[in-house]
Parts: sequence; C-alpha cells; structure tokens
Amino acid sequence: MSNPMEQFVIKPLIPLEIGGVDVSFTNSALFMVLAVVVSTLVFALCLRKRSLVPNAAQSAVESIYEFVQNLLRENVGVEGLKYFPFIFTVFLFVAFGNLLGLFPYAFTFTSHLTAVGSLSLIALLFNVLIGIKKKKIGWLRTFMPRGIPFALAPLIVPIEMISFLSKPFSLTVRLVANMTVGHIMLKIIAGFVVALGVFGVVPLLFNSCIVCFEIFIALLQAFIYTVLSCIYLGDALHEH
Amino acid sequence: MPQLDFSVFPSQLFWLCITFFAMLFIMSRFIIPKTAEMINLRKEKIDGYLEKAAELKEKVEKTLDKYNQALQEASDEAAQSLQKTQQELDAMIERRQADLAAELNRQITEGEKKIAAGKDKAMRQVEEISADLALDVLKKLGFNHFKAKDVNAAMKQSGEN
Repeated sequence: MSNPMEQFVIKPLIPLEIGGVDVSFTNSALFMVLAVVVSTLVFALCLRKRSLVPNAAQSAVESIYEFVQNLLRENVGVEGLKYFPFIFTVFLFVAFGNLLGLFPYAFTFTSHLTAVGSLSLIALLFNVLIGIKKKKIGWLRTFMPRGIPFALAPLIVPIEMISFLSKPFSLTVRLVANMTVGHIMLKIIAGFVVALGVFGVVPLLFNSCIVCFEIFIALLQAFIYTVLSCIYLGDALHEH
Repeated sequence: MPQLDFSVFPSQLFWLCITFFAMLFIMSRFIIPKTAEMINLRKEKIDGYLEKAAELKEKVEKTLDKYNQALQEASDEAAQSLQKTQQELDAMIERRQADLAAELNRQITEGEKKIAAGKDKAMRQVEEISADLALDVLKKLGFNHFKAKDVNAAMKQSGEN
C-alpha cells in the first residue's frame, strides 16, 4: 500500500528562483492555475448565451453570484457589497481548489498550510487595508476596544493582537485539516480496494460514498471559509 | 508530513498571489459584470413591469372614478328633471283646478242670478195675474167701484204685512 501522505508532497515542475528565493512552479502552483482556468472556463461557458430568461447554466452562475452576495449582505451589510469581487473570488478559488483536488491523481493545494495560509494572509492584509482606509488611525482601536480602562492596556492589547492574528490561522487550519483528513481517508480506503481483491468492491462502494461526501465537504468548507472571511471583513468595517 | 514543510512557503505564496489576483482580475473584469448585467437588467425589467402595472391600475381607478362620477351626475340630473316635471305638473293641475273652480263659481253665480231674475219675473206675473183675477172676482161680485190701482195697493199692503 502506498503512503497516504504521498499525495500531499509538493514537487517542483519548473525550477525557478527570484532573488535567491526558490519560487519554483510546483504541482501545487499548477493546480492553482488550473483552479483559475477551470473556474473561468466554466463561468465563461455558462454565460456564453445570456438572456433575460436564463437557461440552466446561466441560472447556476447567477445562483452562486446571488448566494455570495447574500452572504456578504447578511454578514457585513450593504457597505460590504463594494468588496464583493474579493469575497466572490475567495469562494470560487477555494471551492475550485477543493473540487479539483477530488479528481484522481490531482493535487489539493487547499490541503496545504502554506497555500491556504498565503490566502488567509492576503485576506488579512485586505481587511487591515480596508480597516485603515475606513477608520484611519482609529483602526488601532481594534486592539484596544472603547470603554476599557487604560490600565488594562498591557493586558488587553496583546490579547486582542493574538485574537486578531489567530483568525486567519484558525481559518487556515480548519480548511487544511478538513481537506487533508478527507484525502487521507479516500487514499487509505482506496488501498483496501486493491488489497482485498474480489472483496475490494465493498471499500470501493464505501469510497464512492465518501467521494460524494467529500464533494459536499469541499463546497461546505469553501462556504465556511467565505463566511468567516465575511465576518472578519465586517469586523474591519464596523466598530467592535 | 508534507504539510509542515515550510521551505515551499515562498513558492506557494508567490504562485498563490499570482493566481489569486489573476482570478480576482478575471472575475471582477469579466465574469461579475456579465452576471450582474443580466441580473440588474432583469430586475429593472421586472421593476418596470411593476411600475407599468401600478400606472395602469391608477389609470383604471381614475377612469372608474370618472365613470362613477358621471353616473352620479346623470342620476342626479335625472332626479332633478323628474322633480321639476313633477312640480310643473302639480302646478299645472293646481292651476287648471283653480280655473275650473272659478269657471264653475262664475257659472253658478250666473245661474243663480238668472234663477233669481226668473223668480222675480214669475212673482211679478203672479202678482199681475192675481190682481187681474182679484179685480175680475170683485167685478163679478158687483164691486165695480174697485179699480186696478186699489187692488194693487191692497196687495202691496198685504205683501208688506
């Protein structure tokens, strides 16, 4: 039986180095590119024949659009709609990353701390920038909420900072853990299919069920990641 | 565990930034506007239809009001006209009745006058005949010295008594 962790190994495909830093184009990067290409193609294809009375494909795209829009409206409010493209992209990027990873021999970049961490880092920077733009210097209030005695500052400020920085961390770990566990399970059970010979049909059926479940998990995790991004965005826009 | 291999972090961050921002660009430039365009167009159209429906409803209500008003006016007018005709008729009937009563009174008075005149005349003739008769009776009885004027005077006297 092959090692179930083997699927997560990052292999450089095109070695590349910029300023002494290794930024090789890896299998992970390939699937990031694929997520972009596939999502763009799917959406472009669905929107090819647009009409006032939408066909099934256009309806699907519009449903996703309105779903994310409602998510943003409910969690951030109307003012959050300005940042719709960002949240929409986050949702699709994660969703397609998760879904593409479910194909046999595919690589799931959303199962990597470094990849999802980078995305969370982008989201964090985005929130910080929006917060500073909206509240100017008052953004620092994030670490020292109103109504708290100044004497407590040495205690509150580090706690708030940890809480602020732990948000992207928890976002990342939640997604990565879900993706990793799901894929390990698929791989282990798939190993039984071969090992059990004729009786391998049992784990095969079981695996088929798990694949369906994983599709659900892939979309659910993308949804959760997006909702939490919305909530953090709301925190950046509103007072504590 | 490959997940904990942080040596790939620069490469992951680099490619994730490139791909994510490329996707953000594609989505915000092409996919989102195209999707939003149709949704907004549909919304506008539906809103337009709703507006038009509201407009039509208002128009219909106005027309209905006008119709009801016209109906009311016509009904009022008819009632007035009926009342007027009734009044005219009543007035005419009254006038005719008054005329008729006057005419009847006049005829009655005239008739009474005629009767009175006839009565007078008849009485006078009765008196004359009675006087003649009385004179004849007196003459037959042999009282020839009585003249007509004596009989008349006697009759007048008895009439006064």
